[in-house]
Amino acid sequence: MSEKVALMTQGLMKSYGKVRALRGVDLEVQRGEIFGYLGPNGAGKTTTIRCLLDLIRPDGGTVRVLGIDPQADPVAVRARTGYLPGELALDSNMTVEGALRYFNTLRGNKADWGFVHQLVERLQLDLKPHIKNLSHGNKQKVGVVQALMHRPELLLLDEPTLGLDPLMQHEVYHLLREARADGATVFFSSHIISEVETLAERVAIIRQGVIVEEAEPSQLVSMAIRRVWVRFKEAVDPTSLTEVEGVTLLSKSNNIAVHLQVEGEMDGLIKALAAFPVSDFEIERPSLEEIFLAYYESNDKEED
Amino acid sequence: MFAEFKHTMRRLRGQMIGWGIGLALYVVLMVSFYSSVARMGNLYEELLKFYPKEMMGFFSSIREINTPQGYLDIYYFNYMTVILGIFVVGACASLLVGDEEKGVLDLVMAHPVSRTALFWGRLLGFVTATAVILLVSWLSWVIPSGRSGLELTWIKFLQPFLPLFAELLLFGTVALLLSMVLPSGRMAGMTTGGLLIANYLLIGLANINQDLKPIVKYTPLHYYQGGYAVSGLKWGWLAGLLAVSAIFAVLAWWRFQRRDIRVGGEGGWRLPALPFRRRAGAGREA
Repeated sequence: MSEKVALMTQGLMKSYGKVRALRGVDLEVQRGEIFGYLGPNGAGKTTTIRCLLDLIRPDGGTVRVLGIDPQADPVAVRARTGYLPGELALDSNMTVEGALRYFNTLRGNKADWGFVHQLVERLQLDLKPHIKNLSHGNKQKVGVVQALMHRPELLLLDEPTLGLDPLMQHEVYHLLREARADGATVFFSSHIISEVETLAERVAIIRQGVIVEEAEPSQLVSMAIRRVWVRFKEAVDPTSLTEVEGVTLLSKSNNIAVHLQVEGEMDGLIKALAAFPVSDFEIERPSLEEIFLAYYESNDKEED
Repeated sequence: MFAEFKHTMRRLRGQMIGWGIGLALYVVLMVSFYSSVARMGNLYEELLKFYPKEMMGFFSSIREINTPQGYLDIYYFNYMTVILGIFVVGACASLLVGDEEKGVLDLVMAHPVSRTALFWGRLLGFVTATAVILLVSWLSWVIPSGRSGLELTWIKFLQPFLPLFAELLLFGTVALLLSMVLPSGRMAGMTTGGLLIANYLLIGLANINQDLKPIVKYTPLHYYQGGYAVSGLKWGWLAGLLAVSAIFAVLAWWRFQRRDIRVGGEGGWRLPALPFRRRAGAGREA
């Protein structure tokens, strides 16, 4: 495994009884990148992250985190990792400060308490109250602080902004970008597409325990199905356009305007349009959300 | 490991204070009654003739109520395995699984602490908490005893606490092991508590029905000396109880090393599928 790789899984499999949560997940995350792990609830995001930390044991496949096999040396992996669980639960009888100090003790008191205060201030978190008296959003802030406070090399965050208001969500995005700028790798799962689009440099889409796509968000958009509106200066026969590979005619209006669907690259269509008197041309750029849904719909159809 | 030990002690401090003070008050009261009871020796013997034999089976030491060992047994050690058993079974059944079921363990174990350190740190915390409760009880017997006629040295007072401690460890480690293999901590606690009470009843019944004697020798409470340890400790029994506790603890640790840490919705195992359950869960795949 290259030193540039922060985490890698190959053929990762995990079942819970008859439920196959992971069916051979292949992932590679480079050091210093922000990697989004996208999928709906139950797709296998949390299971993947928990395998990376040796909280659960995979049934098959290979896992390396920062070059280490988590099953062989889980303590070494965890010492260099910050983790935020998707379903964050804290000891309700502790104060915020007590909980953070306890986590710091487990890390051998390695956190810089000045940095902890900075994080707490930026997330507008009070250290004094008991965990049981905190709102869900404030508990999530405690989770974010404990994940970041020891400046880990790798951040494994399961739905990091769950329950946070938009202002705090943006503050967390800033903190993660700052961590990345300091050299950390950020691997986060989410089912919020806008979050992944905002934050991630690369994205993997997981569906029913299998990675169905892995690319940069912009690549995903360019690979997707697009819709094109073309208006001509005069009536034309658009048949030749539909002969271009990947192009489908959706509708036409008196041969003066056509609505086309293009799958794949635009090059063929643009060259074909050169033979026509085009007065207007418009491409509907799909959002990551549409792409995400398209993956799911197309896979569902395949299964049907 | 020390961090987890400290954390466990902090969490059990309420239990230590509650059980410690409660038992101390009870013991001080019992110590103060001893001189009166000892003076009633002949009267008690007359009274015991009218006791039903079933009751005598469970509280056979009542015949020696006017002796220090009989008095200690009947008013403390006879049933303290059950009373303190409630604490140890509850504490051990939830020592790790309690946090797991709340989802707290997931985050704790994501820190650089090995499963071994977590397990033994917490178990050591529990053992220390139990020892502290017993220590308070022991002091409550020792300190006021001089004025009540309970003429025993502090070592003699200590002797029956050792088998009690060993029995509590044994049932505690059983609860811990069961919490590692059964679907929930509550089920582990209930099962161990049931076993403890069943054992206690069996010992009493075996004193009435001789046919039960051969069975009883395979149960842990058969090797419990109670207050009679004042007259001399059976070291073999004590070592045996501690050894069996150690075996259960090692088995629980071995199981903890190998199992998945569960969180909500991630498939803690269920009881074996019965035909109707199997039908309901058929074809599930996600």
